[in-house]
Amino acid sequence: MIASGPIPVRIHEIEQLSPTLKRFAFAPLHGGALPTPSAGAHVLVTLRHEGRVMKNAYSLVSPPESRERYEIIVRHVAQSRGGSRFLHQSVARGDVIEIGVPGNLFPLASKARKHLLIAGGIGITPLLSYVPALKARGARFELHQLCTADEAPVFEKLLAPHAAGEDIFIHGNGRAAFDLAGILARQPLGTHVYTCGPRALMDAVITSAAALGWPAGKIHRESFGDASGGLPFKAVLAKSGIEVQVADNQTLLEALEAQGIAAPCLCRGGACGECKLEVLDGEVEHRDDFLSAAEKASQKFIMPCVSRARTAQVVLDF
Amino acid sequence: MSDQGIKSRPKYAPLELDPAGRHHLLLVEGPALPAEALAEGFEPAAFETWTVVNRSALLPVQVVDAQGESVRPFRAKGHLFSALEERLARETMGLRLYATGSEPFLWDVARIADAAGMSRQEIRLAQAGSKARRVFCVHCRTYGEGVTTSIFTCGGCGASLFVRDHFSRRHAAYMGVQVDAEVPGAVPDAEELYA
Repeated sequence: MIASGPIPVRIHEIEQLSPTLKRFAFAPLHGGALPTPSAGAHVLVTLRHEGRVMKNAYSLVSPPESRERYEIIVRHVAQSRGGSRFLHQSVARGDVIEIGVPGNLFPLASKARKHLLIAGGIGITPLLSYVPALKARGARFELHQLCTADEAPVFEKLLAPHAAGEDIFIHGNGRAAFDLAGILARQPLGTHVYTCGPRALMDAVITSAAALGWPAGKIHRESFGDASGGLPFKAVLAKSGIEVQVADNQTLLEALEAQGIAAPCLCRGGACGECKLEVLDGEVEHRDDFLSAAEKASQKFIMPCVSRARTAQVVLDF
Repeated sequence: MSDQGIKSRPKYAPLELDPAGRHHLLLVEGPALPAEALAEGFEPAAFETWTVVNRSALLPVQVVDAQGESVRPFRAKGHLFSALEERLARETMGLRLYATGSEPFLWDVARIADAAGMSRQEIRLAQAGSKARRVFCVHCRTYGEGVTTSIFTCGGCGASLFVRDHFSRRHAAYMGVQVDAEVPGAVPDAEELYA
């Protein structure tokens, strides 16, 4: 059977890791076991905040074999659209929320001879599920965590249970002191690199690796797109004639769902391509990692989960 | 008979440098680079080249010729394969591997590269020279080398094998199946197809 959501869970535990980081543990509401996630998996957490419904993706940081608890770590972002603020300020132990079945757009490559993991800040989250899986397989890996000096002890503590005898490095002195090209250049044949974190870091990893001759198939990046909001606009659905107003702090997908329209979607992070819609008129501000550069330039498609209209109105073939 | 409608056979393209690579190693099944395997504008000096000379005479470890080409000759294929395994075990990311020669040679190289963790994006293969096939007897698992005919006799079990166009990248061989399994002794004449 293929499991499908949503899954009601109870907030089992909340731990303040730092002034802006909280770890949440979810337990199945009706007992039993949660679906088995794979290393690198994420869940969509349904957040109801000020009359809006959001589904935000968070990587599971619990080990893949953990089925009695799922854990996520959430950073409270000042410019949050409401998701992280809601989780940080309004959710308490014992509350019941809904999550989706785990999905994975950032899986481990089974044929890799070595795994090179590079994260920035809270981008560590998917790697926290990688490390126990890699150790269980006896796989060779090397982990580099970049962060601010303030947060270095937080990440050291998170990685401590796995760190003994492993190549795990925390870099709290900023990007300038981190020899990215040197690390990429000395990796043995058959290494795969995985990166998750701020876009600038991920872009630097991808660009440096490609320049050093890494093939695209061995460069992996976690991608949760950019759903940070923007100017409001109107979406016109050509097939039904319905007009949908998209608020400044809402995604096009959320606006469609708020109207009761069942728009296709899966990852909600601009990565999987499931929600792709055809654009008949209007200009798109692309924020996804799915469409190719040529497709983006053509202005013929939009990924409603993250991208917005640059014009006051956009007409969709939907 | 020559087109059996099987679409899974590998396709090859003339070799050209992959500019994304950092270092380029070219393996040649024969003593010299076959012109048919090279794309227009191919620049041998950009490659480190290993050749197979099939001679027992004492060979220099490496020759750098007038054009600045670095060529390392091997006395036989097996010798080159062993050196390749050792080399790949010490290599770093950024290597591109190129091979030209017969199909069994190409896929023996591909298998060694795969075991070293290389992906298809890092390997380029170009068929050159004989089209003779390596055939894998699906009944007794014996390989037959240099098969040029539509039907041949398995060296392992003596079965008359029909050489299918079904190519196994893992075995670097075509599939051979008993042609007279339904009616024993009804073996069609062998046609010369893969010279």
